[in-house]
Amino acid sequence: MEFTLKIERYDPDTDQGRLQEFTVDAPETATLLDVLDVVKDTVDGSVTYRKSCRMAVCGSCGMRMDGAAVLACKTPMAPLAEEGRVPVISPMGNLPVIKDLVVDMDPFWAKFKAVKPWLEEDDRPPVKEWRVQQEELDRIMKEALCIQCGCCVSECNSMEADPDFLGPAALAKAQRFVGDARDRDRSERLRTLNGPHGVWDCTRCYFCNQRCPKGVDPRDAIAKLGAEAFRERLTRDEGAKHAKVFVSSTYRGGYLRETELVPKTIGPIGAITQIPFALQLARAGKVPNPLSPHKAKDNAEVKRLWKLLEAQTPTTRERATRGADGAGA
Amino acid sequence: MKDRYAYYPGCLASLSQKELDSSSRAIMGKLGVELVEMPSVTCCGAGDIHEAKPDYYLHISARILGQAERSGCDTILTICNVCTLNLRQANERLRENPEELARVNDNLQQTGIGTYQGGVDVRHLLWEVSTGDGYERFKEIAVRSLEGLKVAPFYGCQILRPAKLLGFEDPDRPESLERLITACGAEPVDYPAKVKCCGFPIVLAREDVALGELVQPLSQATEAGADVMVTPCPLCHLSLDAWQAKAENTAGEEFNLPILHLAQLLGAAAGIEESTLKFRRHITRLSDDVKEKLKLPSVVSAD
Amino acid sequence: MVRHDVVVVGAGVAGMRAAIEASRYGADVAVVSKLHPTRSHSGAAEGGINAALGNASEDSPEQHTFFTVKGSDYLGDQDAIAVMCEEGPGDIYELEHMGCIFSRTPDGKIAQRPFGAGGAPRTCYAADITGHVLLHVLYEQLVKSQVTVYEEWFALDLVMDGDRCVGLTAWDLVHGGVQGVEAGAVVLATGGLGRMYRGTTNAYACTGDGMSMAWRAGVALKDMEFMQFHPTTLKANGVLITEGCRGEGGYLRNAEGDRFMFNYAPNAGELASRDVVSRAEQTEIDEGRGVDGCVLLDLTHLGAKKINTVLHGSRELAMDYAGVDPIEEPIPVRPGSHYHMGGVDTDVWGRTSMPGLYAAGECACVSVHGANRLGGNSLLETVVFGRRSGAAAAQDVRSNGSGGVFSPSAVRVAERRIAQLLYNFDGVRPHVIRDELADTMYSNAGIFRTAEGLEQCVADIADLRERYRDGLGVVIQDKSRTFNSDLIQALELGSMLQMADCLVTGAVARTESRGAHSRLDHPDRDDEHWLRHSLTSYDDGQVALDYKAVTITEFEPAVRTY
Repeated sequence: MEFTLKIERYDPDTDQGRLQEFTVDAPETATLLDVLDVVKDTVDGSVTYRKSCRMAVCGSCGMRMDGAAVLACKTPMAPLAEEGRVPVISPMGNLPVIKDLVVDMDPFWAKFKAVKPWLEEDDRPPVKEWRVQQEELDRIMKEALCIQCGCCVSECNSMEADPDFLGPAALAKAQRFVGDARDRDRSERLRTLNGPHGVWDCTRCYFCNQRCPKGVDPRDAIAKLGAEAFRERLTRDEGAKHAKVFVSSTYRGGYLRETELVPKTIGPIGAITQIPFALQLARAGKVPNPLSPHKAKDNAEVKRLWKLLEAQTPTTRERATRGADGAGA
Repeated sequence: MKDRYAYYPGCLASLSQKELDSSSRAIMGKLGVELVEMPSVTCCGAGDIHEAKPDYYLHISARILGQAERSGCDTILTICNVCTLNLRQANERLRENPEELARVNDNLQQTGIGTYQGGVDVRHLLWEVSTGDGYERFKEIAVRSLEGLKVAPFYGCQILRPAKLLGFEDPDRPESLERLITACGAEPVDYPAKVKCCGFPIVLAREDVALGELVQPLSQATEAGADVMVTPCPLCHLSLDAWQAKAENTAGEEFNLPILHLAQLLGAAAGIEESTLKFRRHITRLSDDVKEKLKLPSVVSAD
Repeated sequence: MVRHDVVVVGAGVAGMRAAIEASRYGADVAVVSKLHPTRSHSGAAEGGINAALGNASEDSPEQHTFFTVKGSDYLGDQDAIAVMCEEGPGDIYELEHMGCIFSRTPDGKIAQRPFGAGGAPRTCYAADITGHVLLHVLYEQLVKSQVTVYEEWFALDLVMDGDRCVGLTAWDLVHGGVQGVEAGAVVLATGGLGRMYRGTTNAYACTGDGMSMAWRAGVALKDMEFMQFHPTTLKANGVLITEGCRGEGGYLRNAEGDRFMFNYAPNAGELASRDVVSRAEQTEIDEGRGVDGCVLLDLTHLGAKKINTVLHGSRELAMDYAGVDPIEEPIPVRPGSHYHMGGVDTDVWGRTSMPGLYAAGECACVSVHGANRLGGNSLLETVVFGRRSGAAAAQDVRSNGSGGVFSPSAVRVAERRIAQLLYNFDGVRPHVIRDELADTMYSNAGIFRTAEGLEQCVADIADLRERYRDGLGVVIQDKSRTFNSDLIQALELGSMLQMADCLVTGAVARTESRGAHSRLDHPDRDDEHWLRHSLTSYDDGQVALDYKAVTITEFEPAVRTY
């Protein structure tokens, strides 16, 4: 079958970039990686990309196809060829480009290292294995699937606006440890992750979930970290305060108390600086009357529900002791 | 498209973005659809409750879904991206896991709340009128051709991603807004950031980052020659409209790009009165030129 | 020029385990790897790691030893096997403490499942992504240990002072240029060489570079002729479908729907030894009972729940690369080259014949696998001998210090050679020679071998080596020094040609069938003449052949049936 694609080339020696089109023959089952191999072998040996396993476990071959990050080895080319589509292959986003489709992964690994990505087990581990229930480990199985390919980071909208954002891969890795029943450093980890460029910087664009080739769902991992922060009562960050307003609004009346959102999120001083902005909104009629907030019908039952569920949520201490128990359990 | 839906406008459409609620009711009315009220619902919780109190989120979603079910409807109509993803996500979790559903219903019953049996679907107005008979019906009522109006579609995030929960269209190559813009007689304007994030979830907690995101669709759409932007989400609308001046500061550019709710655009094409569409409630004012292109009677002289 | 006490080449499970251990002994350790560590091929291992924990049944290291010895077709060194099986449980517990997410029994212990020819259910696993989990856990520990990692450095040659290894030269792929890496001790952990075959489970990176380096420096390679063919690989691209599928109860069927394995292995059926299963499948296919050149791996009776939990990875692979959902239909599979039993000759501490040089993992041959490896024993080997060689290397440096002088001329010579290769415009593209090599290996040195096939192979390889001309027979089109993967692929081809030469030299000489080495012209095992390891050494560019005794302690060679 004939395949045509365009590759975004970049030559670091001359600092020149260009778009180059190639047409090659490859088997019908060819993946993007297979086509790149044919191009490199038979047309232009300087076309440069990373590869290794070709079975979507090593994470080497992340690259963009028409602006969306994919694993080249997991991307069949026949459907595109049949559609007559000529894809543009370019390097992953949010990382510096070294050459052609090869990006500098150092910033990626730096963020990985920043979340202390190793198990800190108890000082007195059992001689044999920690006795853990399968369902406890299942809690972190999704995050453990991560092959560190970078596809989630490539399109992260928050990281694009703030390159220091820890990002979906590092945060998913962090959740793998926060959720590990054998780790003793949960609180410490959460304190770091709740700081600047951490959990609350996620813009919830869901690009990471959409792009991840392994089903890790990094956004969901970030949400789990947020939930852990709440259980740990680490709610000083503006993002956490923002969430609290949503929560309390539901059982205090039903709809979101928009007028409380600004002061309760960014504090009274911040709110004062936003007064001109608020006045602008008020003039357009966009500020609901703070004195008569929305009250849904039957809202009292919501308060009862809230209390019941809060009573059911185990405290941090309870969860910790219920976790891994190796010594003679 | 159904003949009746349980109507879930969500918080913003009911409060600061009231113009969306009035426009949505009007356009659905003109399409011959009955909207059944749900007076006891809470906020869907947005990504906030889903993150901070995941179990509470699941329960309040079940409560909302249960109310729709008891009202005799099999579908909830949403007019907000975030409500759509939130309710659909909870719905899937409840429908796919009988044990979860049983546990949630148990808690609901304990607090005297009606249970949910899994019989409701959740769909956004955008989906209902952009395909099938909904689309045909809309074309019939779109009597005022908005010819000459260049509209930049802005999808935002949570009506497209994650596709496995939403699944209405290809998240990287969506077409529903373009189809509707065309059906209105207007011209869709393309630009890359139409599927990116407006930044609303962090616009208060991390304003700089949000503005860094927000400038992209505004800048690109303006450069592509758009007269207005249209969005199916009131949260995106609030960002794009109310924070537009701040975005202009960040970008060092002027946008002056009026942002329309989808229902307002459809309403203009269907000849719904301005007093219902409520463009006055926008921060970024519509210029006379834009009002003319929207065929608004207050500007267009009788011919 | 960089200097460290212990330098580990290769950052898979064996390499990282060696580095971590050496650093625990207080050595200043560095890892040199042509890939970022988590890209190493260890991550593709799926089914599990063996150890006699006794969590699923009565078990003991002695039993584990016996089945491994039998599995090796009695070519394994029994003392080494005993060490591995004895120390296995301790290593598994340590991995778990490091954070490994092993699947669990109902009472929270590490779960174990049956694997081919193992006897008792002894294979510990993390769903069917065991290699991935181990690789990442070790990388986490490596990061924690703050060992220096020179990643995307391609090791070129060992550097000697007299007869002692004092380091190596390496090409910095990202920036370009030859780096001198001076070391008190070097540990090779560079993996296998499956890529010399058409139809392999191996990653592109598995090209035998470390073995080649050792061979060229005068270190003997052992049992090179023994290449394992894994029974369940996908037709389209050779991707591995884990033995775990059979361990969880999957069946193998031919075109007639029969579970044919019981005709070849009446007791073990699908869970016979890999060489037995591969030969059985190939026979079925050759005799016309295959389906499109494959047999069928049937998991449909296992149910969606089981498949989606412990065989989730396999399902994904089948859907992505065979277009088949194993919940609904059987997966067409066929044998493919998978694991190389042979490698650098070492003792139980990873020591080679060269002072200062160690080896562990697939690139080494202790030998714990003999003529055929049991599933689940490879990951075990990497951990046990990775640890041992790291410890031995660190202690070596403590006792002997640097041991010698690293001459800077080594770097200059390497630079000149690379420049010559880059600026060569005369020859063919490397893939031409690479594909011919892969074809002759597949046809002539595969599952079933004959004298004429092997002799043809020897001739083909000689011809290919001549055309390759140490790299000057191929054209590298990328002339840049920055991230030149074209250069790397050309160099890797050189390693493969040399190692193929060693492999077929050993194979043509061995006139018996044992384990994975199956001679149609010599179908029986011949202990009288062939109960010995082959040794292939460098002799002025050619392969010299010698032999070495097998260590037999407890188990006298017996007839091997399943």
